Amino acid sequence: MEKLNPYLRPHPDPLPRGEGVRTSDKSLALALIAPTLTVLLALSIYPLIYSIKISFQSQSGAPTLQNFTRLITDQFFFSALAHTFIYAAIALTVEFLIGLALAVLLNEQMRGRSAFRSLLLVPMMLPAVVVGVVWRLMLNSNFGAVNGTLKGWGVNPEALTWTASPKLAMASVIIADVWQWTPFMFLILLAGLQAIPQEPYEAALVDGSSAWQTFRHVTLPLLKPAILIALLLRSMDLLRVFDHIFIITEGGPGFATETLSLYIYRTAFRFSNFGYAAAMSFVLLLITNLISVGYIRLLQTREAT
Amino acid sequence: MRPGGFAKYFILTVASLAALAPVYWLITISFKHEVDQFAVPPKWFSFSPTLEHYADAFLARSFGQYLLNSLVVAVASTICALIIGSLAAYSLARFRLPRNLDRHLALWILSTRMFPAIVTAVPLFLIMRDLRLVNTRLSLVIVYTGFNLPFVVWMMRGFFAEVPRDLEEAALVDGDSRMGALRRVVLPLVAPGLAATAVFCLIVSWNEFLFALVLTQTDTAMTLPVGIAGRVTQYGIKWGAMSAAAVVAMIPILAFAMAVQKYLVRGLSLGAVKG
Amino acid sequence: MGILLQNITKRYAVSVVDDLSLEINDGEFVVLLGPSGCGKTTTLRMIAGLEQPSSGEILIDGQRVNDLPPQKRDVAMVFQSYALYPHMTVAENIAYPLRVRKLAPTEIQTQVNQTAAMLEIESLLSRRPRELSGGERQRVALARAIVRHPKAFLMDEPLSNLDAKLRLQMRGELKRLQRQLGTTTVYVTHDQAEAMTLGHRVAVMNKGQLQQFAVPLEIYRRPANRFVAEFVGSPSMNFIDGRIDPEMRCFTADGLRLPLDIGTTQSGASNADQQPGRLRSSFEEITLGLRPENIEVSNAQQTGMIPGTVYVTELMGSETFVFLDLASQRLIARAASDFRAEPGATVWVRLDLRESHFFDQVTGDRLSLPPSITTPQPN
Repeated sequence: MEKLNPYLRPHPDPLPRGEGVRTSDKSLALALIAPTLTVLLALSIYPLIYSIKISFQSQSGAPTLQNFTRLITDQFFFSALAHTFIYAAIALTVEFLIGLALAVLLNEQMRGRSAFRSLLLVPMMLPAVVVGVVWRLMLNSNFGAVNGTLKGWGVNPEALTWTASPKLAMASVIIADVWQWTPFMFLILLAGLQAIPQEPYEAALVDGSSAWQTFRHVTLPLLKPAILIALLLRSMDLLRVFDHIFIITEGGPGFATETLSLYIYRTAFRFSNFGYAAAMSFVLLLITNLISVGYIRLLQTREAT
Repeated sequence: MRPGGFAKYFILTVASLAALAPVYWLITISFKHEVDQFAVPPKWFSFSPTLEHYADAFLARSFGQYLLNSLVVAVASTICALIIGSLAAYSLARFRLPRNLDRHLALWILSTRMFPAIVTAVPLFLIMRDLRLVNTRLSLVIVYTGFNLPFVVWMMRGFFAEVPRDLEEAALVDGDSRMGALRRVVLPLVAPGLAATAVFCLIVSWNEFLFALVLTQTDTAMTLPVGIAGRVTQYGIKWGAMSAAAVVAMIPILAFAMAVQKYLVRGLSLGAVKG
Repeated sequence: MGILLQNITKRYAVSVVDDLSLEINDGEFVVLLGPSGCGKTTTLRMIAGLEQPSSGEILIDGQRVNDLPPQKRDVAMVFQSYALYPHMTVAENIAYPLRVRKLAPTEIQTQVNQTAAMLEIESLLSRRPRELSGGERQRVALARAIVRHPKAFLMDEPLSNLDAKLRLQMRGELKRLQRQLGTTTVYVTHDQAEAMTLGHRVAVMNKGQLQQFAVPLEIYRRPANRFVAEFVGSPSMNFIDGRIDPEMRCFTADGLRLPLDIGTTQSGASNADQQPGRLRSSFEEITLGLRPENIEVSNAQQTGMIPGTVYVTELMGSETFVFLDLASQRLIARAASDFRAEPGATVWVRLDLRESHFFDQVTGDRLSLPPSITTPQPN
């Protein structure tokens, strides 16, 4: 009978820190990484540099700063920014709340848990285009399932023109996003909940705290890392959203749902103004970077405490 | 069952239905005669199915071509990403480079995934135009390989690290070269991980929209998502054909995703727990 | 010519192996013995080529191998975890070294079968490692090492994952196998019983430094320093700190006065031994070492015995270990299996100083006494 897993090394593995590694191994190591680095440099870094270059050029190729100065006065740009933030904020909040509720619900042992989990995963896996098609169908004011069902319940949905209405269009695309990505929130938060040990709960019980108090003072603080991760990942995706809005409203009606990605796309590929598009993409890049850095800061301070 | 337990099941059932109903609706549209499609109140179950839309989309219209393009591009880019990325992942998992270079590289590789797609799509279009590669499947294969590489490196690195060092050292002492040991000893052991990573890459490549939209213009290179989008943005939409195409776009993905959902959940859980 | 290590040093932040020199003869079974962290495994891995020495030379069969990768050194290694390839059958595992050397399949088959027969594992050839017991896996690991007829076997604590009974059995088989094959073997262990029974010679290491390299009996009888004396032998040697009185010719410690002029056997002077008085002032700060079998315990007083108090006894069946307090010293003695005494009881003790050892209290080095002290005086 063996005491130890035979594949476990009981002695600490003295990993050579560079010295003591044979030079032939070192060159092999670099040779194996080289193709990846090359491809990534070519497909990520080089385009960025290219982008920087054209952002400082006018459409005729002359050097200029106008692409950046134009940002300050461009109404569409500000609308796009506003739309992006509104979209992101609302979608994030709704997905978070629903996801958290579902995670709390599913956090106990129950039969068929993995079956439910599989079903809830379905929206996440779909191509964004299909999600767009699905919701464009569902929200069609004439024969879509939503309005049709409302009519069947006796509610008159005349006013609910969803994608055709400037006010409701934003709601439409948000609904689609929430439908697709709440499971994602749910999964991460569930995993975070399940990683919390039992003892704090038991201590709170003994101390006499109510369900809500326990949730607020025990669960939430211990869940912070998972929450931050979930929010971070979703925020990054929400800020650059493009695909399903393109399908459902194409940024319309008018430009009511045009987010920054969509405006950049329109600028580059409808107006062929690549320089201006490049300048705007840097703004987008800057925003996403700042936000992710902010989240990571938050994560690190959490760990330090 | 406690009353609380019942409420739980009820809510979960409602949530599951909410998740699945729209998908079901899409599937029914693809199988309904046009008359039924526009019926009010909507017919969820009582209709007689037809395959005319599928025939229309894939035989009469070009969705068959789009499907083929999607397949070719997804498979090719996955294979490329797997080969290139696994080699790098192996190197990062096994070799320690001086001054923690390997750790910095790993982080940098991962960070390239964080760019919003549109940021690189605009210049890539121009670059591909200069290279006369616009509207070719090759351009998509190249871009998707770059897309998938960070992910492959990240996932495979973890799988390689799980193989005990002892096994490779034994192989070396037994007389094998590093690459031989990799091939004969390590690869068979990471095969499941390789398969899961491959499936992820296939899913991502298949679903991808923005780059395909930007880089393709005609049927020769357009992928399924772009084909669907093209139909949708016109007026007089043929919902039947379009939903048939959407269903076909969706089914293989769901099948694959269910196969690897265990890994997906594990990946998400790890992210949540390790922070 | 065997294996030659010349001034091998391996440094990470500290010296894991410090200026080690060893000459291992062809066909010899050498054991590297020491506690965890003493550098023995690192030394083994350097011989294999899995790690590079920071300085020094390694020669195998007269050829300098520092720059040779492991696959070219023609040594075979048995890992502590056995490192069997989990996705291959036993036969494929054993065949692997031959396969990478591109031997003909028929030839490989023959060799595998022969080796499997030698280790009595023919019935396991089509199984996978996870279906085997620990002892069986061990044999497969050995078979894989043997099948290539390498220049040397390198073994990293191959028996430590086995239960006690199996370990003893495999120990005997390993010894017989190595004597039969005559292959040079370097064996790493922290178990001194294994070292003493398996090795032609034993190299005791501590903190990266070689303490003593000699045949087992020499290490047991004449340990080069206190560390070796304490590490080898179970139960371990007793140590008493005190001083030597050269005029009275006795060893004194707290409450003890032991005459030395009885002809101590171990101090047949050799060049390696240092004599007190040669270094500093010296007969001060000396440690007396005495093995448990050289302490006689009796319930009845006999001539020359001194009284001690029993702390506890351990009945081993074949003998009894007696933990006792003598003056202010706690000692372990070996007694006959029928010896009985209660804790707190008084017993009578004779310390047989003819087999005693002396060490410098500060450096731990072995000392020998000048004949002027140890020669018995005619009565």
